[in-house]
Amino acid sequence: MIESFKQLGELARGRDLADVFLESDAQEHGVPAEHIIEALTKRRQVMRDCIERGKGGGTSMGKLVGNEAKLLNEAFLAGKTFLDPLTIKAELYALSVMGENSRMGVIVAAPTAGAGGVVPGMLLALEEERNVDPAKTVRALVVAGGVGSIVALSANISGAAGGCQNEVGVATAMGAAAVAYMMDGTPQQSINAAALALKNTLGLVCDPVGGLVEVPCVKRNALFAVHGLTAAQLALAGVESVIPMDEVVEAMVRIGRALPRGLKETAEGGLATTATGCAIGDRLKDEANQRRAERAAERERLAQERKAEVTS
Amino acid sequence: MGPVMVGPSSSHTAGTARLGRVAREILDEDPVAVRFVLHPPLAATYRGHGSDFALVGGSIGLNVDDPRIPEAIRIAEQMGVEIEFAEEDMGDVHPNTVRVEIRGKAREAEIAGSSIGGGVIDVFNINGFSAHFKGDSPTLLLFYRDRPGMISEVTKIIADEGINIASLACSRKQRGKDAFMQIDVDSPMSKEALRRICATPDVDEAKYLDRIP
Repeated sequence: MIESFKQLGELARGRDLADVFLESDAQEHGVPAEHIIEALTKRRQVMRDCIERGKGGGTSMGKLVGNEAKLLNEAFLAGKTFLDPLTIKAELYALSVMGENSRMGVIVAAPTAGAGGVVPGMLLALEEERNVDPAKTVRALVVAGGVGSIVALSANISGAAGGCQNEVGVATAMGAAAVAYMMDGTPQQSINAAALALKNTLGLVCDPVGGLVEVPCVKRNALFAVHGLTAAQLALAGVESVIPMDEVVEAMVRIGRALPRGLKETAEGGLATTATGCAIGDRLKDEANQRRAERAAERERLAQERKAEVTS
Repeated sequence: MGPVMVGPSSSHTAGTARLGRVAREILDEDPVAVRFVLHPPLAATYRGHGSDFALVGGSIGLNVDDPRIPEAIRIAEQMGVEIEFAEEDMGDVHPNTVRVEIRGKAREAEIAGSSIGGGVIDVFNINGFSAHFKGDSPTLLLFYRDRPGMISEVTKIIADEGINIASLACSRKQRGKDAFMQIDVDSPMSKEALRRICATPDVDEAKYLDRIP
């Protein structure tokens, strides 16, 4: 098992990073490389399909988000955007996935659902814009997954455990390493990309409005997809992280512990307790209570019907 | 990479659906009543994240990527399953922790576990016994009467099958009384081996769970 990024760096020197992870998995879990490639080929397709569905927009469960992907896509198609297509597509695809997620659509947790837009946003935008072979994208997913699994050895990957740094932060690190890989970077550059990306998400809190994975999660995924690309760019140019990746992860865990409970997914702090956040929270609670009352009435009606059937 | 799943949160939908599914698999029959007891942080967030659909969905046997998860509560009601949600402070546990009390026509079961992110679960209590169940490998759960030689008899049957044991843990309520063994194995176990284990003296019940998808 690969237990640290230091060990990964040593093992992978002069080698293909995806191969190193695949071999380690085969050794540890007895899963042949072809099975992992096959499973991740399916994941890539689920991501693609999800992006296609999500581009059209729709309304989220809490009705707080929904048209972000559609708006950006329309502006892009109409030539009314000012950024380069790679950046826009990274944002657009992340928004598309997160839109689907907020509608309880089928997505790939990468590493979580709430942070599930970052990796597909970065990787699939890059694949299209830089003509990367889809098979290489699949291998980049091996790299992303491998990076995530090393982080997961020392950190719980959830907003509840350590705030959004543990979700979107880790997703951005995974994506940055994978992008460096796709652009033919060295393993060390991938590890540096991950460290640079994660360092700049440290302290990010999880403060979902109304407790829903909608605000700020959907747009945050889009913005961090772009952040991950820039981290990979720095690493590919030779910029190194002064603090090694293993230590960045340690810092993340410590910061996560120090964060108060109200900023760890409970919707009891941050954006969730702003005036607008509270008003939305109250409305959602009222609506949920109403739905419960309706369901109870429906159950009662069914029970009465059954009773009537029995007596007749 | 995490699982293919129905949104919106891997802790709250994928992990919780798997926890519900573990309870359903241990019960090993269609449930008639399920009670979900939520640790306060989960109780504060579960509805917004669809954990109620996911927990119920898992407990009636749906997979995490089943598009019927959003309809799970209605489906459960149609099946005549009684559903209840409650809140209880379980002390120093992961924020997203739930106890599932599930009852079928013939049997009942109870598990407590945490959804720790990315769909990963940690079931730390099964029918009152301390456990370490993650659902990521085939696992044998054994309920038996504590006595010398039990571990060697059971592991011999597994060894005869040529199956490697990844981990083994036992716990008991009292010396010589009710005990529990959890054996994680590297490859699937045959029905014949399971039958032999069930036939071992002092074994009350053996449950073989495949990887929880």
